[in-house]
Amino acid sequence: METIKLKLIYPKWNKLPGQTTFNLPPHGPVAFAATLPEYVDISFTDENVEPIDFDEECDLVALSMMLTTQVKRGWAIADEYHKRGKKVLAGGISTMLHAEEMVNHVDSVFLGESEGRSEQVILDWKNGCLKKIYNYMGNQPDISLVGPCRRDLYKRELYNHKGVQMVDLFHASRGCRFSCYPCAVSYLGGRKFRPRPVDKVVEDMAGIDNNRLFIVDNSLAQNKEWEKELFTAIAPLKKKWISHTIEDDPEILDLASKAGAWYVYQAVYDTSDYIKERVKRYHDYGIGVEGTILFGLDNQTEDDIKRLIDFLGEIDLDLAEFTIFAPFPHTKGHDDLLRQGRIFDFDWDHYNAGQVVYQPKNMSPEKLQDLYDYAWKSFYASETQESKMFRLFCNVALREMEEGTYRPRDRRLINKSFGRDVDRSKRNVNVRVQ
Amino acid sequence: MKVSKDYYDEIFEFKGEWDMESSCGLKIREIDGKKYVIVTELYQDNPGTSVTYAGKKLADQICEAKGLNLKEIVYLECTPNTNSKLSFYDEEYFQVDFFADMQHKYRQLPKEEVMKILGR
Repeated sequence: METIKLKLIYPKWNKLPGQTTFNLPPHGPVAFAATLPEYVDISFTDENVEPIDFDEECDLVALSMMLTTQVKRGWAIADEYHKRGKKVLAGGISTMLHAEEMVNHVDSVFLGESEGRSEQVILDWKNGCLKKIYNYMGNQPDISLVGPCRRDLYKRELYNHKGVQMVDLFHASRGCRFSCYPCAVSYLGGRKFRPRPVDKVVEDMAGIDNNRLFIVDNSLAQNKEWEKELFTAIAPLKKKWISHTIEDDPEILDLASKAGAWYVYQAVYDTSDYIKERVKRYHDYGIGVEGTILFGLDNQTEDDIKRLIDFLGEIDLDLAEFTIFAPFPHTKGHDDLLRQGRIFDFDWDHYNAGQVVYQPKNMSPEKLQDLYDYAWKSFYASETQESKMFRLFCNVALREMEEGTYRPRDRRLINKSFGRDVDRSKRNVNVRVQ
Repeated sequence: MKVSKDYYDEIFEFKGEWDMESSCGLKIREIDGKKYVIVTELYQDNPGTSVTYAGKKLADQICEAKGLNLKEIVYLECTPNTNSKLSFYDEEYFQVDFFADMQHKYRQLPKEEVMKILGR
């Protein structure tokens, strides 16, 4: 088969202003790339860290999109390639969430997971019979088909801040048995938890040229026996990793710690002793905690939010991330607000979880926006986000030094931040994009 | 988040968004010569598209299966009480007018109206 040149693009999105700038190597594009046949020669551009050369020679273009805030940029990119006579495919999480609109902007939409399926798309294109929709929703492939991602496509130096390599994203499972109110994951990946075979996870993880990972599975707390098996199996790799919630069980927390758990994202949804103790228990096992705090649900009043912000000072979080509820399509939150006529903004660029796009139940949109801004400011008033991140970084570096896995900073990149020259007169924070 | 069987007389299987296999609870009532079609979201027992997202596509499938005319029925969406500690899972009923604009498409039913329709 003759070589087909595919341009694979991860569109940029506007980062939330005021927050520390960082760019992680995206997972979706390289997971998709791994499913393509060998005769497809892929050139990958993550537009968040480098511009697209629209005139680069290619036969076909594929857009991989994760966030709702990427879709409009994806459509603009598709327009540019259409002017050049190229066909454009789209896939990924936000393609699935916004598929009805996506079909109007690209030549072909891929819905679902691509293992064992992408070659047919390429062949259809080659034979001039590309379909408008490849629909595999609700029809997940055998999880054992999920292989190592094509991380060789990354330009590694672009995911580096002053010589420090960013974490690699990794997934040990798909699907989620929970169906949380603001979340669309069960719609996207199915309501059945689908763990990858542990031996494949180990083989995949061992092959990543990075000792620091972010295990992006929605929640590791899906199955205790699987967690035990997984943590026991990956411990010898001596990787350090970030993840979402881990089971609140002493044996599992101990195994996670020994397997390299660095810090977790833990939802802080109320001011209970349970939350306080949950955070403490992670710390007892040497696992850091980044609290994720969602504002704007119907059960929250202004006072509730203020109390929650004050509570954060009592629970010793290492980091905190605040978000405003966003009614993403295919969530119960979206359905509820739609029926109640409370969504006033359908501009997908504004669905960044930092902007109010609906009428909150117990306060004005402006008040909710103010509380969100206040939360960021107050949590990081005494120590900046960058400084708190640096402390977490030091913790992991010390653990790595003890275990002999520490890699010093890359001195050649000491004056670079995500491909750009470092300006030491400025803080490394996102600026507002008009 | 299991939905009580009291909410429906039958499970209706339908093709959701992108033909995903989907399910909802279904009750049909006739009161004062009017046909009320009540679809109930099944949450964890609905493997596909929600009743709200499916909208008219679901209504059309029910009408076809039951020999009804969409213009002659009162179509209600029910989000059932699932005994969750979270208030977002409280019971609510909305009348849906698929021929109205977005602002007037949904009308939440007061409790008395729900009770009258369901004969509670």
